[in-house]
Formats: sequence, structure tokens, C-alpha cells
Amino acid sequence: MKALALCAEAVAAAPGRNEKIARVAAYLETLEDEDLARAVLYLSGRAFPASDRRKLSVGHATLREALVRVTGWDLEMIATCYREVGDTGETVALLVRRHTAGREMSLAQAEALYEQLEQSRRTAQKVELLAEAFRSFDWLQLKYFVKGITGNLRIGLQEKMVEEALAAATGLSAEAVRGANNRSGDLARVARAARGGALASIEAVLFHPLEFMLAKPLDRVGDLADPAEWWVEDKYDGIRAQAHIDAGRVRLFTRGLEETTAAFPEVILELAPLPGPLVLDGEILAWREGRALAFSVLQQRIARKQVSSKTMTAVPVIFLAYDLLLWRGELQFAMPVEERRRRLEGLGLRYLAPQMRLASHSEIEERFLAARGRGNEGLILKRAGSAYESGKRGGNWLKVKRPYGTLDVVVTAAEQGHGRRASVLSDVTFAVRSDDRFLNVGKAYSGLTDEEIRQLTVLFKATTVERYGRVSLLRPEVVLEVAFDGVQRSPRHKSGYALRFPRIVRWRQDKRPEECDTVERVRELYEASLE
Amino acid sequence: MEIEFRPEGIYIPAIDLWLDPRTPVGHAWLSHAHSDHARGLHATVIATRITAGIYRHRWPLPEGRAQQVLLIDPGQTLEFHGARLTALRAAHILGAAQLLIEYGGERTVYTGDIKLAEPICGWATEIVPCDRLIVESTFALPIYDFLTAAEAQRRIVQFAGESMAAGLVPVFLGYGLGRGQEIVHTLTAAGLPCAVHGAIAGLIPYYEAEGIPFPGWQPYERRKEETRPLVITPGRQDSLAVPAARTRVALVSGWAAVDSARARSGADVLIPYSDHAGFPELLAIVEQSEARRIDIVHGYAEAFARLLRQRGWEAAAAGTAAGEVQV
Ligand SMILES: [Zn+2]
Repeated sequence: MKALALCAEAVAAAPGRNEKIARVAAYLETLEDEDLARAVLYLSGRAFPASDRRKLSVGHATLREALVRVTGWDLEMIATCYREVGDTGETVALLVRRHTAGREMSLAQAEALYEQLEQSRRTAQKVELLAEAFRSFDWLQLKYFVKGITGNLRIGLQEKMVEEALAAATGLSAEAVRGANNRSGDLARVARAARGGALASIEAVLFHPLEFMLAKPLDRVGDLADPAEWWVEDKYDGIRAQAHIDAGRVRLFTRGLEETTAAFPEVILELAPLPGPLVLDGEILAWREGRALAFSVLQQRIARKQVSSKTMTAVPVIFLAYDLLLWRGELQFAMPVEERRRRLEGLGLRYLAPQMRLASHSEIEERFLAARGRGNEGLILKRAGSAYESGKRGGNWLKVKRPYGTLDVVVTAAEQGHGRRASVLSDVTFAVRSDDRFLNVGKAYSGLTDEEIRQLTVLFKATTVERYGRVSLLRPEVVLEVAFDGVQRSPRHKSGYALRFPRIVRWRQDKRPEECDTVERVRELYEASLE
Repeated sequence: MEIEFRPEGIYIPAIDLWLDPRTPVGHAWLSHAHSDHARGLHATVIATRITAGIYRHRWPLPEGRAQQVLLIDPGQTLEFHGARLTALRAAHILGAAQLLIEYGGERTVYTGDIKLAEPICGWATEIVPCDRLIVESTFALPIYDFLTAAEAQRRIVQFAGESMAAGLVPVFLGYGLGRGQEIVHTLTAAGLPCAVHGAIAGLIPYYEAEGIPFPGWQPYERRKEETRPLVITPGRQDSLAVPAARTRVALVSGWAAVDSARARSGADVLIPYSDHAGFPELLAIVEQSEARRIDIVHGYAEAFARLLRQRGWEAAAAGTAAGEVQV
């Protein structure tokens, strides 16, 4: 862990993406195979591989309890310190500095300790294990060991960058490493295989979410060079989801690669009889009389952890399939869209999104209006003959939404509201992405329900990094979809742009901050508006 | 002896003396020349010679205004309104001093801003026994534990060397009085002439007058694309002529003890070195003072007072509006 901790510190101080990747690659090159496998996991903020079912179940309370044991500070002091630092691993490290023997922790010891923590059933046992570690090991190494527990290194290093570093360190293409990690959800296994030159042998693992293929916005229909080269489907306003099916077992994953199986029991029942191993791409929709209900209706289902039969009757939900990722155990990524569709149709699904071949530009307009008439969001175009490009927004899928559409933004600050909303953080400042930073593009006051604002206030308070009077600066975590009337230049915003009259359309609980729209996208919209 | 902690500063009615008042008063003790401590035109100012000098530079006396300046250097005493005042060395910035007030058989020490470890520039703290201690608490949480002067100097020089070797311009962020000069002194003494921003450069003569060398420093020129190390005040990075991509930025500050300082300051590299005491030093100052009663100002006063009470001291967070602390 010593070399890993020093590498992580250097990564935190390195200015650019490429420099960070180069530093990680240089470190990975020095490791023998088993340590390489461990290091890539820990550097992506994981104690276990993503597809591994094991969970550490070590919460902040457990970590703080161990800190109390080792340092003698009481919980109030530890909470005050945590508020200043904003990260549990770092707080642990800073507080144990004068209480630890400072021994070196090998990567193998870290692995053994993670395993022991996972296997301990009782909290007291976990506290004891952690306290022993806090007393023994060097504080800088503990910092990254604990960050592996909390799941985020906060050094500006995303898993994608670790994949690239691993590729550079093993002389393979980033594409090949990323593909293997996507298929298996096990970067440790990928690392071992990469050293052995056996990446291709890594097969898809069922019940681990695969990256979704994403659509690029088509701002002007006229931009489409050859309309006859595209398939067209409605774009649905539900929750994009992936269904993994085998031998009567079904698991659902959202676009944020989070599992959502428990929320939709009727979907599970519907899909369970299908022949596995099978992975479908589709949309969870509130559905009545052959058409999708508004997203706000579906939201009533998401809000609940436990689904009662009453809510199931009130808001019936279906899974509408529109693509195929794994069929009879075989990955379908390389198959052309037509072949995937043929196999999808062969499954005899009850809910399958209709697909048509497009002929002309004017037909896009017609179909767009028809889709809107059915209550759907717009259209998705899939290029004839194209593969399923997992994790990419490459332009082989296009989305046609309402003019100006919406942007997915991340909340960076929240402010106490006024009057009725004085006790909640209702006014939000939001940002779009630029590499691994977030740049503000506007501020919105309305659009969410009181209940959502209440929930978000709790979340905002928990993710507050700093407070200036009524304003709380937040860790970028909450993604919102905002509608707006235009884009203008703004020297006040770091992005250089501001949205005009932004209002919140909805809280995108299914999206991670790294998935929000980019400053390039805002620039495109701005430039398009000038023409 | 009664002590009042007022929004304008600390006031001792028995001897009509203010300690570091924030607004103009009659008689003021200025512990050091930071602008949150030495400010305004008081009728009488009591300070060390160095502090009084820098204070005068920052608060020139307008034509026709009179001010009585009473100088007491460390170790010297002054009889004042029936009390005996003694200045004691404080490691903080050049000229910083604590004040020992002996009155009615009671000994009270006001530390001003202070640390216990050796500073890069300035003198070491002298601790004398007292009954009551008024101490600052800027960094009074156990997460704050700073580098020694020697280690900070090593890192400053190392950072400059590595950045220049990589073809980048090292930029140091340090406050205008204290940290800035310590960085410039460290670099120049190590044979690395640097360019220095106005606010920091303007006070270098006061350091030179005390025999601290700055061989080869030059004032920073706004429009010049420097290749030498730059020493500037925080928040000035954006106005540099050198493109940001060609610089590497180091923050030398107590706040640099925490990683989030990187995002806040825009620095790449953090060097946690302060002119305030880290937590272990603060505890040591309290212990060594032998005081029974501790009043805590500026910073994490509540948390520190609570901790001291748990350990048996009579301790309270003083109700002063601490305001901005200059570090
Ligand atoms: Zn000061």
C-alpha cells in the first residue's frame, strides 16, 4: 500500500488527465501479477470487483467507532474533524497519525483485511479489526485503505482512467481492456489476463450490468445525411434499464449501473420465463391501455422501497425491450442492429418497441409528432448495420427531442429558499461537465415537488463541502434534468455560458454526475442558436 | 482582573487597555502586524519595535494627527495604568509578541497569534507561567498537525526544483505578510532567485532590516512571462502572464493540511506549514503555561474549550467576533 498511497497522492497533485494516467501506469508496471490485480481494484475505489457479490458493510458509524477506540477523541470531536475534511479515509488518516505504529501494509494484507471485514457478521468484530489496523499501519496507507471501504478515492481518477493506465502498463489497447472490464466487471481478473495476453478469453458475466449504448442529440433534422440508412423507434420517457435473465432469475440495472430489481416485481415475473442467459436493453414504463404514462406517474413507484400490491395496481409497470446485449449466453455487441432485432423478435416478448425503416427527412417530422402524440419523448434513430457500442455515445444512435430539449446537469450548490421554503435548500446552482470538472451554467428555483425538495435537502446537507451563509457548496452528486429557453454567453459563469430561464424537469436518480451533459454540448446549442 | 470579550476586541477595564482591537480605541496592544490584529489609528499604541514599524507602513499617520507609540521589545516591561506589561516572544510573523499582564497579584498572558515550533523567519516562542491564558485556536482540531520549518523548507525547494526540471513555472501561494517572505527567503537562500508579487515584496525590507537575507529576489512584473519561481498571494493565479498549463502551483498554508484545499485554492501541491500552532503545539502551549483558566479566541474555540474542560481546565470560548483570520 505504500507505493499505492504515494502514487495516489501524486495523482491527486497531477494537473491533467493524461498525467494522472501516466503516473498510475508507471506504478502498475512495477507490480507483479497478483499485486497488479489488487492495485487496479483499489485505485478504482473498490475493495472487491464490481461483479463480486461480496459487500463490506462497513459504514461511517463503524469507522468512527474504531477511531474513538484508537484516538480517544469522542464522537463529537471526530464529527467536527470530519466536517472540516469531508472524507472519511482522510479523516482517519489525519487522526491516527500520532496513534499508529506506522507499519507498512502490503497489498496482500489489505486484501486479507477487506476479506476479514466482509466475513465478520457483527459490527463489534468489524470495529475491532479496524481499530487494530488503525493502531498498526502507516497513516497514509490507511487513508487509501479506508477510501477503498467508502468507495471513492477523490483524486480525480475514474475507473476509465485506471483501465487506460492498465492498458498502457501492459501494452494493450485501452479499448480491449475497457471491453473486458465491461464484460466481466472484474478489473482484477482483467489485469491478470492482460499480463497473460488473454483478454479475449474474458467472457461476459451475467447479473453484472454492462455499459449502455448512448444516443447523440440530433439538433436539426436536416443534418441527417441519408435518412434511408436509419431505423427509427420512439424515445420513451421512462427509466432506461437492462434486464439480466437466466433460469428463472432476473435482475434489473439502471443506467447508473445500480440494481433496481426489487422495485419492479411484476417485471421480474414477466421476464423470468424467457430463455437465458439473456440480457435485454429497454425501458421501464408506467403503462396503461397500450401506452406509456407520464414519467411523473412512474416516479411514484421509484420513491418507494417496498412495493405494495396497492401501488402495483395504481401504477402498473412494464419492461419495454428495444435491444439485445446477450443471447443464448453469447455477447451480441458485434452483431448488426438488424440481426439483434431479428433475435429480439424471436423471443416472443409481450412488450417490444416497434421499429421502422426511415425513408425521408419529412418522415422524421411526422414520426416525431406521432411519438409526441403517444406521450413519448421523441425518436431514437439507429444506423443500419451498426453494432451495439457499449458505453459509447458514438453517433450510431441519434435522439430527436423537443426543440432545445433539456440538459442533464449536476447540482454544485444549494441555497435556502424564501418564505414557505426557508427551511429547505430549494434554490440550486447547477453545472455541466468539462473533463473531470464541473462548470456552472445556471441556477433554478422551481420544478420539484415539496417532497423531492425535502429529500434533496437531506442529501444536500450530507454532501455539503462548505457553507457560506445561506449557500452550501456541494459535492457534485445529484443530477437534474433542466429545461430552458435558450443559451447565452455569460462571463459570470466559469463555463462561459448561462441557460436562459432554466427550470427543473425532474430529478434524475438514475444518472451519475459523470453522465451529465458537457460544456461542449452547451456550446453546440449556443452555436446552433446563432444560425 | 476582569476581561471583556467584545466584538471590537478584548478589553481590560481595570487598566483601560485593548488587546488587538478591530476599531480605533484609546490604548491598544498590537500583538503583531497582521491586519486583523493591527488596524486603525488608536490614540496610544503599544507594540514591539518591528510590529510598530510594519503597522506604521500599513497605517500611515495622517498630517496633523498625533499618536503615542510605546515600544516594548521581548523581555522589556512597561508600567501601565497600575499594571506591569511584559512583551514575550511569539513565533508567528516577524515581530510578533505575547503580552504578560501582571495586575492585582494575577498573571495573565495574551498570546496573540502564535505557534510553538520554530518559524522559518522570526523568533521562537517563550512561555512563562501564568494564572490565566488567552490563546488563539485557528487550528485547534487534531487533524491539524503541521510540518516543521526544516521539512517545509525542504518541500518548498524540492517543489521548485522538480517543477523547473519539468519545464514548468513553480508558483507559490502565500499570504502577504509572513508566509510570503518565508517562502521567498527559503527559495533565495537555496540559490533559487524568484519573482515576488507586490504585496509580499513591499514588506521584504522589514525582514532584511532584521538580518534575514533574500539574495536575488526581484519584483514580479505583470506582463512578463516568467520562468523563475513566482511567489504570489492566493487568488492571484488567474492574473499571471504565464499560461496556467505552464505552471504548477503550491499552497503553503495550515489549510493545506486537508486535501480539499486543492479544489478551494486551485493549487496542485499542498505544503501544510503554518504560522499558527497545529493542535499538538496548542495543547503544549496550554500545558506549559500552567494556567488554570483558559480563554480561547479565533477559530475552533468551542471544540477546543470543550476538550480542555474534559481534561480538567477551566476553559471557555471567548465571545469575540473572530472575523477573518490571516494565515
Ligand atoms: Zn496573525
